[in-house]
Amino acid sequence: MKGPLAKTAILLVGMYVFLKFILPLFTAPLPASLIFLYLALTFASAMIFYTMSGGGLDEFMGPVGRFLTGSGQAGIAGTARILVFVLFPLLVGWQAYTRLAPSDMPPAENRTIHPAPPGEFVGLANPYPTTPENIMMGKGLYAAFCSPCHGANFDGKGPAAVGFNPPPANFSDPGTIAQLQESYLFWRIKKGGVGLPVEAMPWKSAMPRWEVELPDEWIWKIIMGEYDGAGQSPRTWEEEE
Amino acid sequence: MGYKKIFNVALGLTLMVTGVWASCVLASDPPPEGETGSVAVRLVLTEGAVPADDPNAAVWNTIAPAEFKLAPQVHWPDRIQEVTVKSVKVRGMHNGQDLAILLEYADPSEDAADAAAVEFMVGDKMAHFAHGQEMLQVEGGDVNIWYWKKEHGKATDMTAKGFKTLRPQENQDVSATGAWQDGTWRVVFSRPLQTADELDVQVTPGEWRNVAFAFWDGEIVDGAVKEKGSQKAVSSWWYLRAEPPPDNSIYGYVVLGIVLAAGFEFFLVRKIRRGNES
Ligand code: HEC
Repeated sequence: MKGPLAKTAILLVGMYVFLKFILPLFTAPLPASLIFLYLALTFASAMIFYTMSGGGLDEFMGPVGRFLTGSGQAGIAGTARILVFVLFPLLVGWQAYTRLAPSDMPPAENRTIHPAPPGEFVGLANPYPTTPENIMMGKGLYAAFCSPCHGANFDGKGPAAVGFNPPPANFSDPGTIAQLQESYLFWRIKKGGVGLPVEAMPWKSAMPRWEVELPDEWIWKIIMGEYDGAGQSPRTWEEEE
Repeated sequence: MGYKKIFNVALGLTLMVTGVWASCVLASDPPPEGETGSVAVRLVLTEGAVPADDPNAAVWNTIAPAEFKLAPQVHWPDRIQEVTVKSVKVRGMHNGQDLAILLEYADPSEDAADAAAVEFMVGDKMAHFAHGQEMLQVEGGDVNIWYWKKEHGKATDMTAKGFKTLRPQENQDVSATGAWQDGTWRVVFSRPLQTADELDVQVTPGEWRNVAFAFWDGEIVDGAVKEKGSQKAVSSWWYLRAEPPPDNSIYGYVVLGIVLAAGFEFFLVRKIRRGNES
């Protein structure tokens, strides 16, 4: 098993393990179609490399030809050959089936959770000082208006949370308000789910449009109370630069 | 002989690339399942009549229900913090002509003001689940609401586009019947899949629709109805689909694929053998 074909096979397996299992440890997993493309390119490169460098096509593809024709084979190799010949058509049939069978799954929901805010909400600063009194007032308002959905513990598990898809945001999760600026929250609370752009699917969101019920001052203080209660701090402009 | 070799190699190459492709496809991730509870109502295709006004028809028990959790309506005023109906089991059927949807939910008492509703988006425009309320960056569409109330003893086919716009339609196409027993309501709504009314949801087998639910406990507490108007149990949008008729042409394509692949193998081996002999 020292032929160029065996080397190429080992290279492909190594490549596959790297793309499928090792790379996702560092970045988002690759889609299967992309992995296939990379492996196909690797294979084509190996082909060109070996056929250009002396050995020629015969040396490279020889083992494949011998395997397929079954010349001089017995035992395991013979069985493997029959297995390949039976499995290949079945695989094609199975692929045809999965491609054509009507899907029983509802449409995929690729909802953007944090879309860009409208321009007028970018960079607004909280006009109220972070005093214990303001935080207290914010927490009180939060308990009255927000906790039924977002939870008394800021964990998104309020008594009304279960009926809604998407669920109310969990503010103690570092992936929500800690990633955001206060001005972004001001926009989201004021305009609610119906203020979202199309990629965030506003028709699905139960987040109320609070501007019709609460004055701006209350919203800013709720934001203070929310960060304090959830043990998070807002992302600031300095971190952006 | 050069051209024959190239031909053999090309065939071998195709086979190998296919192998790599197959292994990638086999290893690709399975489709995501619904997190908790159901995400969709399936209207099962049956032959013959659907049990349009019989909530207790035996055939309902042959269908696996979808179950959806419900929340007290705290999205807009007037809110309510605690509701009676906590979840609903939904079953559906159609026969290509008519559909029937059965809602089953717990409510300890039978009251004249008990009520249930099913809401749909209408047409291609997206509509907010709260009565198609106005969205700020997206132009919304109408919602079609099928409303049943115990004391009415029938369904009302309604339309809304925004709060305070809910009204009965001119064309009433929906019927409903409810039966209460041992703390459980079973309410069946029925309608033709398609109607001539552009304010109605049109249910086309095989296509997904958006659906939401609402319930009112009409018990009298301290002289007043406990849940009414916007004070109700609600869900946001889930999915609904009428099962399409089975498509047997798929099996033809599967057989074709198998035959082609086997033929490919046969000619490949023959070609390589001939190449080796010469
Ligand atoms: C009816 C339930 C409900 C109530 C009441 C409610 N929210 Fe929400 N909220 C949601 C839902 C559902 C989402 C997730 C969908 C979305 O982003 O619109 C959300 C999202 C948010 C977000 C966005 C978080 C992120 O990571 O982008 C903020 C901020 C927020 N809510 C703040 C509040 C505040 C403050 C109040 C009280 C004044 C409140 N909410 C009351 C349901 C609710």
